[in-house]
Amino acid sequence: MKTTRVMAIVLGSVLLQVALSRYAVGGRFAFDLVLVGVVFVALQTGAVAGMIAGTIGGLALDLLSGTVIGFGGLLKTLVGCAAGALGTQFVVAKASARALIVAGATLAHGLMAAGLQAVIDQTWPRMAWTAMLEQIVINTVVGWTAFVMTESFVGAIARSRSRSRSTWSRRQW
Amino acid sequence: MLSSRRTVTLLVVLCLGHVLLISAQVPGKSGSSALNGAAFGAASRIQRMMAGLSDGIGGLWSHYAGLRNASRDNDQLRRQVLDLEGALAAERAKAAKVTSLEEALALQKTVVPPTLAARVIAGNPVPGVMTASLDRGTADGVRPNMGVINASGVIGRVIANPSRSACAVQLLIDRSAAAGATIESSGTNGLVTGGFADGNLRMTLVSSAATIASGDRVVTSGQDGFYPSGFLIGRVAQVSGTGKNREIVVAPAVDFGRLDVVLIVLAAPPVADVKAKRP
Repeated sequence: MKTTRVMAIVLGSVLLQVALSRYAVGGRFAFDLVLVGVVFVALQTGAVAGMIAGTIGGLALDLLSGTVIGFGGLLKTLVGCAAGALGTQFVVAKASARALIVAGATLAHGLMAAGLQAVIDQTWPRMAWTAMLEQIVINTVVGWTAFVMTESFVGAIARSRSRSRSTWSRRQW
Repeated sequence: MLSSRRTVTLLVVLCLGHVLLISAQVPGKSGSSALNGAAFGAASRIQRMMAGLSDGIGGLWSHYAGLRNASRDNDQLRRQVLDLEGALAAERAKAAKVTSLEEALALQKTVVPPTLAARVIAGNPVPGVMTASLDRGTADGVRPNMGVINASGVIGRVIANPSRSACAVQLLIDRSAAAGATIESSGTNGLVTGGFADGNLRMTLVSSAATIASGDRVVTSGQDGFYPSGFLIGRVAQVSGTGKNREIVVAPAVDFGRLDVVLIVLAAPPVADVKAKRP
């Protein structure tokens, strides 16, 4: 069940990223929904699930984008592991705090990507800080929305269960 | 739940696997082309579907708004057609003059390469990679390295692995893109490269003796084998430094954030050769 949910979230975010890439032509908008999905899985499920989600999501995106295969996979695996470890260590529960982790993960992902690119090209790449900032903002907003929606959904289910249970107990009484 | 030691082992194994995968491709970037091609083909289908859906929804409103302004637009377009017909006649006269001059001077004839209209259906899913997907592929005669232009100027070139019905274009602002260029006013040649955070291009390999001023038009030289010569790349926005340290900033003519319909240059342009045949 857990594996199915993780796979569904990762593949869903890959599909969404591919489908919405029309709005990223020429760097018009910068966003990485797969990274948001990986951090979401890591915070909800833990470091191991985060790592696996990062590997699958990153490799899928590498394949679809025509870049070096393994580049995004490595970065997202590390980010998924770190986010999961952080979430487990500090028990981050509030949506706003989780969104902050998404922001930090986006920044770390960008910096690690530049570092890895520098190792491959043997020269430090030019950093587009405005695009990076834009990506952090969009990813954080998307992440926050996802966490709030999950909280509300879980809350609504719990409320409905408790209501039905109390009605049942009144009837019994 | 796996133990902490197992988690670390899994992390190390996954990272090593990725590093091996990367190092297998980096020297020649080979081995993944077929896989990449198949994945690109599958992704382009989703992107085409998404583009169609988005256009359909947007079209509902624009068609309604269009109907309300149809009569006024008709008048405006009629006037525009008349103006364009006049301009076309003047251009035809000029072209005829050029042809007769080429014949008289025994120059190699200017060949206008055929083009194919295509729609931009998506960008690259990885942020920072400046490529775009077009809805034309090998079935339409598209091959790697063909130049892509639009009414404003040069956009980029088709990169490897086009699928049957889609292809990817490396935009001129990508960090590994370059084009042979000429400064129109002085005829100075150089190389225009992309990948700068400000969205502008830089012109390198320019003679340090050449006089370059802001506002000069930069056009394709046709010597790189990808782009036909004479197409606008942009205008010189800034020249700073002197000698070997001179930096020439070129503002691109194309707004890469708003690409819609583009033209694929179907024939690879011949390398510029303006030598007159000696008698």
